[in-house]
Amino acid sequence: MACSDAPRQQTGLQARSDSAADFSGHWELDYGQSDNTQERVNVLVRELRQQAERRSQSGQGPAGGLVINGNGYNNGESVSGLVRLTDMIARTALLEIDQDEDFIRVRREEDSDLTCEFYDDSLRQLETPFGSELCGWRDHQLVFRLQLPGGLSIQHVMTTGASRARLQLTTTVRTDQVSMPFTINRVYNRFLPGERDFRCEMTLTRGRVCTTGPR
Amino acid sequence: MGPLSADAQESQGAFLDVGLLVFDPGIPADKAARSRLGIFPEIRKSEAKYMPVILRDVLMQQAGWGAVRVLPELMDSPELLVTGEILHSDGQQLSLQIRAQDAAGVLWLDAVYEGLATPTDYTGSPQSDPFLQVYENIAADLQQVRERLGAARTSTIREIALLRYAAALAPEVFGDYLVVGESGEYMLQRLPARGDPMLERIIRLREQEYRFIDTVDEQYVNLSDAIAPAYLLWREYSAEQAVFVDDFEDRVLGRKSRARPGSFAALEQTYNTYRLSRIHAQDLDELALGFNNEVLPTSLEISGTVYKLSGTLENQYGEWRDILQQIFALETGLTPSP
Repeated sequence: MACSDAPRQQTGLQARSDSAADFSGHWELDYGQSDNTQERVNVLVRELRQQAERRSQSGQGPAGGLVINGNGYNNGESVSGLVRLTDMIARTALLEIDQDEDFIRVRREEDSDLTCEFYDDSLRQLETPFGSELCGWRDHQLVFRLQLPGGLSIQHVMTTGASRARLQLTTTVRTDQVSMPFTINRVYNRFLPGERDFRCEMTLTRGRVCTTGPR
Repeated sequence: MGPLSADAQESQGAFLDVGLLVFDPGIPADKAARSRLGIFPEIRKSEAKYMPVILRDVLMQQAGWGAVRVLPELMDSPELLVTGEILHSDGQQLSLQIRAQDAAGVLWLDAVYEGLATPTDYTGSPQSDPFLQVYENIAADLQQVRERLGAARTSTIREIALLRYAAALAPEVFGDYLVVGESGEYMLQRLPARGDPMLERIIRLREQEYRFIDTVDEQYVNLSDAIAPAYLLWREYSAEQAVFVDDFEDRVLGRKSRARPGSFAALEQTYNTYRLSRIHAQDLDELALGFNNEVLPTSLEISGTVYKLSGTLENQYGEWRDILQQIFALETGLTPSP
């Protein structure tokens, strides 16, 4: 695993932003406000068809955007794969976010954490044998970009309003087998973990230990 | 130049006392570097207090040393001072920069000591440190230097230590008993007369200081005992993690996907591989949090006690210096320099 500094001009992201939002807290998925995946699929298919028609009309390619059971680019299996993967990545129902000036950790239920560091005012790019990760601010939005092997890339964009009551997480996935990315917007509502008479914390020798008393 | 007074000699004995300064945790000031190097600062700070206690225990098991004490900060002229910096510490590898210097300013050793451990080296017993060999190597090297010294040199080092201590407390009286050579080594210039009452007082004060320091040392031993179970688990888990990650990389990078490119199976495999690798890396963060939750309250409590004791000792020094200056003025009629 290695880290490197990524130049700002190439990424469009920056380590500091005057309008950086505060995402810290607990968030739960609002299914009603979030995208309906099937509707987004319909949009994708329609756009792929339109794109193919435009290409066909301009003599750049064959007619038909989505080729069911086809073997090539934009075939049904690839589009389905793109959609299913995006849906899988964006399924997280709960987020827990710790944020300070230098570090942000987004804990996602059933997935790895998204983390971002800005210790020396530069963007840190995490390189591993399995992919690379870059994150930074784009004005008030926090952007995470993952570049994975096999032409797969994933971008998460987090946005919140001034009231910090809601958080939008926009997940966009691209593969080199489909000519358009697929995007799902998820909306989360802030919630306060229940006020309880006990608190729990992780320990090494005794596992999770809960004690009574004020939080 | 003759030997110290009989009383002074009697109070010393034949063995060198060893002061082990709490190690430098080796935490870079740059937070980005800490993250890059995988250093968990709170764990390092605990290690910096834990490791000298292990070395102390190893030295105490070796014959031939006087009192071996862990010190919170540099005291005036211990007979042999051992300092250390943690260069690298995880469950698999320990690397320490160790420096030892006697009261005469002679450098005994300045070297890097390293050790490797595998998950099988973790026996689950707080009494068995997987890097014990590292501490044993340091102790062996110290012993080797000590054995070359001979009784006369050992005695001289002890005399110099006492006179440096005396000079720090009563510079008007003992300031010119030692000279410092160009290389920074202390040499005896002359010795106090037999039965010198001022030296007798100094020896009594030093004994009092040792009693203070023994209390501080006891706190470090308590801390070491308290954190040992969690610390050994942390190192064991982190060693297992490192082995798992290496195996995982070998397995995954050598694997060929049979799924068609672009298919959900292929995409899911790529994503899950990345996800799992990150989850394993992030598990260490969770373990570090678990360690901190468990150890920090004890560590803070004991550090507070050590701080109070050190502060008390510092005040005591000031009082001792004033009293000695007054006695000096009474005995000689001279006004001590401020």
